[in-house]
Amino acid sequence: MTTKVVKYVGRTTDFKGKTLWEIVGSLKNFGVGRLITRQVFQRYPEPTFMKIVKVETCPDEERRRVRVWVEKTFRGRKLPQLTEIYRTSYKPDYQLVHKDEEEKLLQAAATVKHKSDILPNSIEMPPLMKRFIMRDHEKKGVQPMKEYVMPLSYKHSPNRVERIAEGDEKPTIEFTMGLGTPVSPTLYEGIPLQ
Amino acid sequence: MMSQRYSLRCSFPLIIQIAEAHRKPRWLPIAKSKIYRIPKRPEISQEERLELRRINNNYNTKMRAIRRFYAEEWVREKSTLESATSEMSQRLEADEWLRCEELNEMWNKTIAAEREERRAQELTIMEEYSLARMEAKDKDLRERISKASAKIRKEKELCTTFVTPENLEETIDRILSNTVDYNFAIDLKGNTYQGRDSNIQNEDKKIQASN
Repeated sequence: MTTKVVKYVGRTTDFKGKTLWEIVGSLKNFGVGRLITRQVFQRYPEPTFMKIVKVETCPDEERRRVRVWVEKTFRGRKLPQLTEIYRTSYKPDYQLVHKDEEEKLLQAAATVKHKSDILPNSIEMPPLMKRFIMRDHEKKGVQPMKEYVMPLSYKHSPNRVERIAEGDEKPTIEFTMGLGTPVSPTLYEGIPLQ
Repeated sequence: MMSQRYSLRCSFPLIIQIAEAHRKPRWLPIAKSKIYRIPKRPEISQEERLELRRINNNYNTKMRAIRRFYAEEWVREKSTLESATSEMSQRLEADEWLRCEELNEMWNKTIAAEREERRAQELTIMEEYSLARMEAKDKDLRERISKASAKIRKEKELCTTFVTPENLEETIDRILSNTVDYNFAIDLKGNTYQGRDSNIQNEDKKIQASN
């Protein structure tokens, strides 16, 4: 008898694991109380996992999906509200955490030191835009602006770790119109930055 | 390939976009030689991946800020234009209105003069046309009257020979006395012999008789 070897053909993917229904459907009581993780969230150093709270199956037309409510811990921070997983439940990216590893994960999440980074709420304008606005104001006869800054907006996400500065709060992370400080300086070897 | 593309363009000239002419149309299937090809996944090192992510995130944040700034400015300008409650803007608007009215008056005057001229011209043309038409009609009427009177005259001339109750008896008598026999005979040589009772000299017999 030949050995059972699965050989994948086609494009590769970053996903690793099973769809949520493949996990939940084969567990007792649909796996309520168990922990699951997603491979894509493993890129952060802090632990990210989800605890299944409630499971609803879907009609036959949506056989790849399942509606699951989870308590989500994202980068060691537990979200205050339950998260519903439905639209992304078909992705073969979920992994079940073994029962003996659950304790370790929970402890790791509890020992995470939360950084209190503050994001800026405004940014300096780009140089050409500054010139344009200056000329525009001159033409209209409006008194020129003192500081050429514009408000920043961020995408709304419950997963956000950083806080957005309120009022004149001093942000800890600065965005400038230049290149900024590179994450991997090895890529810029021999190139004078600024 | 070119011929196929050309034929497609000929049959669906509205669907094909010329700007996309360098591409294969969307509805054509994958080429046979490419059907089982699996494109190689680009290998990006972790360093590069992180750096790219940082740069792209920064770029998106900045672009969002710029878009938001201009959107808000547009809204602000629109609202100021719409409200236009300040005294200065009202005064400016009134001045503008007066100027517009003056200009409009001027335009109206010039256009009125032009219109008068055009109308006079049109009137003369119309008069000429109607006069010509009336003349033509008169002429036509006169011709018709003359034709009709000629016909009447002819009829009146004919009228004298009509049979009336007064001369009925007379006419019957005349007709009976002068009966006309329209019958005739024709021989092989084309000679006609009027009347039913007329005597016909048979030439053959004459010839025989002479012999």
